[in-house]
Amino acid sequence: MQMAWKEVKKSKMKFLILGSIIFLVSFLTFIISGLANGLSEDNAALIKNLPNGQFYLNEDADQTYNLSKIDEKQQEDLLKKYTDATAISIQMGFVNDADDKQFSVAFVTATDSKLFPNVKENEIVLDSSLKDDGIKVGDILKNNQFSGEFKVKGFTEKQTYSHAPVAFINMKNYQEIYRVMEMQTVFIPGSDAPDSIKGLESFSNKEFLNTIPSYGAEQMSLNMIIWFLVVISGMLFAIFFYMMNVQKIGLYGILKAIGVKTSKLFSMMWYQMLLITVISLLLSVGLSQVFSMVAPSGMPFSLTMQTTLTLSAVFLVIGFIGATISGFQIKKVEPLQAIQQGEM
Amino acid sequence: MAIFEIDEVKKSFKTGDVTEQILKGVDLELKQGEITALVGPSGSGKSTMLTIAAGLQRASGGHVMFDGKDMTQMNQEQIRKIRSSEFGFVFQSAHLVPFLTVEDQLLLMLDVAETKMNKKQQKQEVAKVLDLVGMSHRKDAYPSSLSGGERQRVAIARAIIHQPKMLFADEPTASLDSKRSKEVMEIIRNLTKTLKITTLMVTHDEEMLPYADRIVTMKDGLLA
Repeated sequence: MQMAWKEVKKSKMKFLILGSIIFLVSFLTFIISGLANGLSEDNAALIKNLPNGQFYLNEDADQTYNLSKIDEKQQEDLLKKYTDATAISIQMGFVNDADDKQFSVAFVTATDSKLFPNVKENEIVLDSSLKDDGIKVGDILKNNQFSGEFKVKGFTEKQTYSHAPVAFINMKNYQEIYRVMEMQTVFIPGSDAPDSIKGLESFSNKEFLNTIPSYGAEQMSLNMIIWFLVVISGMLFAIFFYMMNVQKIGLYGILKAIGVKTSKLFSMMWYQMLLITVISLLLSVGLSQVFSMVAPSGMPFSLTMQTTLTLSAVFLVIGFIGATISGFQIKKVEPLQAIQQGEM
Repeated sequence: MAIFEIDEVKKSFKTGDVTEQILKGVDLELKQGEITALVGPSGSGKSTMLTIAAGLQRASGGHVMFDGKDMTQMNQEQIRKIRSSEFGFVFQSAHLVPFLTVEDQLLLMLDVAETKMNKKQQKQEVAKVLDLVGMSHRKDAYPSSLSGGERQRVAIARAIIHQPKMLFADEPTASLDSKRSKEVMEIIRNLTKTLKITTLMVTHDEEMLPYADRIVTMKDGLLA
């Protein structure tokens, strides 16, 4: 270990460059991960905030909740049988304030449930992000498909859907706006929810997220970038340590000639890898958390410490694998070959 | 009594279909505290002989007996242990570790040889050996700031600090001028005599021969 540390001290610039690269790549990964989580929240906080359970869509809906219509009789039977169950409908739309300023919202209505605000006719409960646009409790909002007016009853925290703030409205008002009597989905919370109901297809919360248009594609792209960066950082480790090992083949040969164990040379490399990675990760974790605090409020960004620590652990494992693969050269070094190569 | 015996050692290399016989059956005995110089024309097999004796490569045939044990029958780990604790090496180039100070080079060797000294004793031993090679004043220097002669002195100090029974020196003065070569050879001679180290040295330089107790000439893979 001492030898490894002494090399780091003597060749500061070399290790600083590697550390900087790891710092930048991990920081970028954390930021993109924060954005992916933020966008995911922005896209589906309404669903993500629900407890675990099962969603049921009409079998003919082609796994797309927009196309799903639950038969009214079947809905009634289900709500009777499962007392915690609720039928939900979601549609994108907009509301206008007194100055006729338009706000895009996701109208949500549900049967009586503890999971959603209880909204009376001509009332509306909005996501608190709309407060930033100047909407207050008591304001009157309109929709051109709705004959009446909505009075803002209150706000909920972090209830967004498809990148729009959620607007909870009464079922009757919803039916008037969208000219539809059937609800789109039934949600049964808890583990008692049956796997199959005749005529309906069931989805876990996670599976249901993928029925939201664009959610799967958006998350897949972002996750691909994240894992690409993780793999790139692993390759960077492998390439960098490979280059360092190539430069040090003579040294390794001499050390082997005087009796240094190959395992000690590996330990030296692992110690250096661990040291650089831990310092780089500490810096990028710190900076990404600071960024998380100062990020503009409109930016969908959510980076939890758990995500950061999980990604950090992945970086450490990838770094270890990268360095170890490059270290196979050490095993192959012949002392004699190094001696014959002359001065290092 | 011989501490080191080389018995009918052969070495051949195969290049394509051609097998080249470098050593054709060499016999040599080395006595404790004696410096043996191995001389001969280029290609006669001197360095191959030395590296086989030092356990850096395997013989194709014959036996290499060290302290009564046959090294040709040992596995790599057993040979490594002997190299680290019983042998010392001085090469044509000093081959010092570039990121270690002079003192650290020697401490590393004590560590590798697994000597039963504590840190304080190790430091004392390093100071003593550096004094023997006249390098005490440069103990904190890195190899890049040392002259060729100084580096070779450090290499000698590293080779003997763990008090090996054998010292293998392959052209130890080849990279030095005449004055420094003599200084280095004097150090090797004094140390091997003081510490009773058996030395096998390959050299081309005739001026170094007076420092040897015995001169052995090789020609065409055999002792002349």
